[in-house]
Amino acid sequence: MKLTINKVRLVAAWTWDAGDDACGICRNAFDGCCPDCNIPGDACPLVWGNCKHPFHLHCISKWIGAQSSEQQKCPMCRQDWKFEARK
Amino acid sequence: MSTPARKRLIRDFKKLQNDPPSGISGAPCDNNIMKWNAVIFGPDDTPWEGGTFKLTLQFTEDYPNKPPVVKFVSKLFHPNVYNDGGICLDILQSNWSPIYDISAVLTSIQSLLCDPNPNSPANSEAAKLFQENRREYDKRVQQIVEESWTT
Repeated sequence: MKLTINKVRLVAAWTWDAGDDACGICRNAFDGCCPDCNIPGDACPLVWGNCKHPFHLHCISKWIGAQSSEQQKCPMCRQDWKFEARK
Repeated sequence: MSTPARKRLIRDFKKLQNDPPSGISGAPCDNNIMKWNAVIFGPDDTPWEGGTFKLTLQFTEDYPNKPPVVKFVSKLFHPNVYNDGGICLDILQSNWSPIYDISAVLTSIQSLLCDPNPNSPANSEAAKLFQENRREYDKRVQQIVEESWTT
């Protein structure tokens, strides 16, 4: 028997590499977006601290931005917040 | 109107309903998700047992980046509670974290009842009795528990 493929439809799925958890600040799923955004993905990325705790970029930025420089701690573990460099 | 603070409070409400911590209940006021009423029951096997203590929580649009203002409406006799019902608790002030939710706030206040911090007193008489005359302290707590049923 010989098959001829006329059409192929490729489907891809993506997920952040952060487990199936939710952002501790807004409580929205990591694969969803923060409450200020409508579209998950590159427009509403996740970031990690050096302590490895992930948050929506917009959520952690709001929190860190409202703290004085010596109070900029990870909301989870209270270590000094430093954005982790990831590729 | 749906803002990040209000969305978060609705999530908090769902969590509190689906997974309520023991001895705690709370709900937003009619038509105003920013203002909540809550009740904390005095933990069993403590002088606070049987007490039903009412509180209010007032949130702002900065929640969860700013803590709510939490006040006891019921009269309390406790080293860390002011006469006007204001609460001296680090996580509601300088140690606030945006990962806290309403369940965490109310659970912390519940454990503060039996585990006061007499080193930062809001009620110096209660702090003194707690440290120096526990029997008298427990008696005053007992009175407050009974008063909590009628107010």
